[in-house]
Amino acid sequence: MTTPMLEIRNLHARIEEREILKGVNLIVPAGEVHAVMGRNGSGKSTLSYVLAGKEDYEVTEGEVLLDGVNILEMDVAERAAAGLFLAFQYPIEIPGVATMTFLKAAINAQRKARDEGELSTPDFMRAVKDAGRDLNIDSDMLKRALNVGFSGGEKKRAEILQMALLKPKMCVLDETDSGLDIDALKVVSDGVNALRAPNRSMLVITHYQRLLNHIVPDVVHVFSDGRVVESGPKELALELESKGYAGFDGAAFDNEPYDGARA
Amino acid sequence: MSIHTPVRIGPAEAKLIEQLGAAGAAAAAERLTTIGLPTRKVESYHYTDLKMLLRAVPELAGAEKATSAPALRIPGAYRIPLTNGVADIDGNEPDGVLAAIVKGSALSERDDVLVRLNAALAASTLKLDIAGEQPTVLHIDRRTEGDAAHMNDSVSLFLADGGKAVVIEIFSGTDEVHVSNHASYVAVGKGAELTHILLDLSPSRATNFAAAEYHVAEGAKLRTITIHAGSVLSRFNLFAKFEGEGAHGDFTGLNLVSEGQHSDVTLELRHAVPRCTAKPLYKQIARGRSTAVFQGKIIVERDAQKTDAKLMMQGLMLSDEAQILSKPELEIFADDVVCGHGSTVGALNDDHMFYLLSRGIPKLEAESMLVRGFLAEVLDPIENDDLHDALEGVVEKWLRGE
Repeated sequence: MTTPMLEIRNLHARIEEREILKGVNLIVPAGEVHAVMGRNGSGKSTLSYVLAGKEDYEVTEGEVLLDGVNILEMDVAERAAAGLFLAFQYPIEIPGVATMTFLKAAINAQRKARDEGELSTPDFMRAVKDAGRDLNIDSDMLKRALNVGFSGGEKKRAEILQMALLKPKMCVLDETDSGLDIDALKVVSDGVNALRAPNRSMLVITHYQRLLNHIVPDVVHVFSDGRVVESGPKELALELESKGYAGFDGAAFDNEPYDGARA
Repeated sequence: MSIHTPVRIGPAEAKLIEQLGAAGAAAAAERLTTIGLPTRKVESYHYTDLKMLLRAVPELAGAEKATSAPALRIPGAYRIPLTNGVADIDGNEPDGVLAAIVKGSALSERDDVLVRLNAALAASTLKLDIAGEQPTVLHIDRRTEGDAAHMNDSVSLFLADGGKAVVIEIFSGTDEVHVSNHASYVAVGKGAELTHILLDLSPSRATNFAAAEYHVAEGAKLRTITIHAGSVLSRFNLFAKFEGEGAHGDFTGLNLVSEGQHSDVTLELRHAVPRCTAKPLYKQIARGRSTAVFQGKIIVERDAQKTDAKLMMQGLMLSDEAQILSKPELEIFADDVVCGHGSTVGALNDDHMFYLLSRGIPKLEAESMLVRGFLAEVLDPIENDDLHDALEGVVEKWLRGE
């Protein structure tokens, strides 16, 4: 069996004294797109922060393997350099830091961590221009401070632009559809779909089925009370939409990760 | 009836009194003997108790040659050395710049101990008359050289009506326990535009005091930037006055304070005439066990209607032991004005930090990006790229702890 891109084994995490992740098991094979659906407060966003390594959360048990390597010992920046990318639900506005300066610093920091040479300024400019074109990101937007004064749609497009430039192995998209109208959703989804590749996997965290019409997953996982309680093919999302999450609460927890995509 | 309890005179005060006496400044010596150096009971020195902080004063500076390279080189700038109070002018100044040496200090009389010391002890003033639009940055290289010395020097700048200029004065010197006390007198003519920068790059054991007074004429535009990036004890004493209608002032500064340092920026901005606007913006960063102080007072006189002045201080704490102190004051005697002040102090934002880290930017680099972002508002208005880059370099160096 080939190494999965992401393997989460019995992951427990808490913030202060409150346990939020209560034994997450999840496998995302290379090249696949998996969705994690769950009601508000089920721990979906916590999962994304714990994967990225946010300090507020303490992992008490379990393992997270990225392409076979345990990333729990790595700091946030090391995880990013190892190929993990988190697209934020609410991208952060940072006044005084120019978007282009930030992009260049991020690309070169990751290249440096991987012992690759720095990107020359012309190569960098070209890469940004090419990636920006498909996402309707013009140079005006890039001249502004990072995410400052960006509309909701612009912020999400900027996240996807970063994803395109950083070329991660594993993308975690946290509620990428929140705050987007239908047109913006289409641009963002097209951007994400264009980045699907055999050596890149995605974990799409969402509350609504709507996004999954645009980014069609290989597998859907249902998240409830800090665990995956059900996994199935993409039709599971439709079932959830019609029945609501209630039917899945407290369901018998199948400890075997769903492997239907290859079954 | 008031009872005067004689103040206890410490070694620093005794030395200053002796030096004032020797210079023939009997009144100043008498005053210092009576009141001593200011303590926290004196409002304008509330956070900078000079009696406690200034422990010793060395001998008065004698003539010295500048022995080291300038603390900062600005490509394309015209440099005028002012070493231990003596200006080296050779007549090769750029067109429109007239340099001369005149007797005594340039500062106006004022009830301030540092101003009185400079008035008594600065032997001469480097006087620059500037006319027209100056494409060249003027760099006044103010040094305290030789063994530990108490040095007083003085500069006056007169920018003619309609003129445009950028002047930077940099304080530096040999790595000794100097006490330097600088004076700058700046007059901005009608409709003129001046950027005036005071940069403290004194070595780590030095004490640096710098007083600057600004006289701003009708329709003039003044941008001042004071930067502290050196010296263990520092005080910028800024006195600005709008004297002609419709003038604008951006009074700005970066107070970068490291372990063991105490640095104070005190601004008194006086609106004496109508329709002037001002935006004082001061940013302070403190790390280690250090103290950064900003006091800003805006005085709006009765005639100064339609004044629009907003004062802002933003502090960034890089350690739990650091102190950032801020005291904004408004004294308004006119009834049709817009005035305000704000003050914020905090640490680096955790969410900002996490976002940068999550993109693979290592912690130190991310910190430095956020700090640069915090300071950018003060440095970005500088149009001259070489000067802007040189000052960014100063900030970078400070961030790296050099």
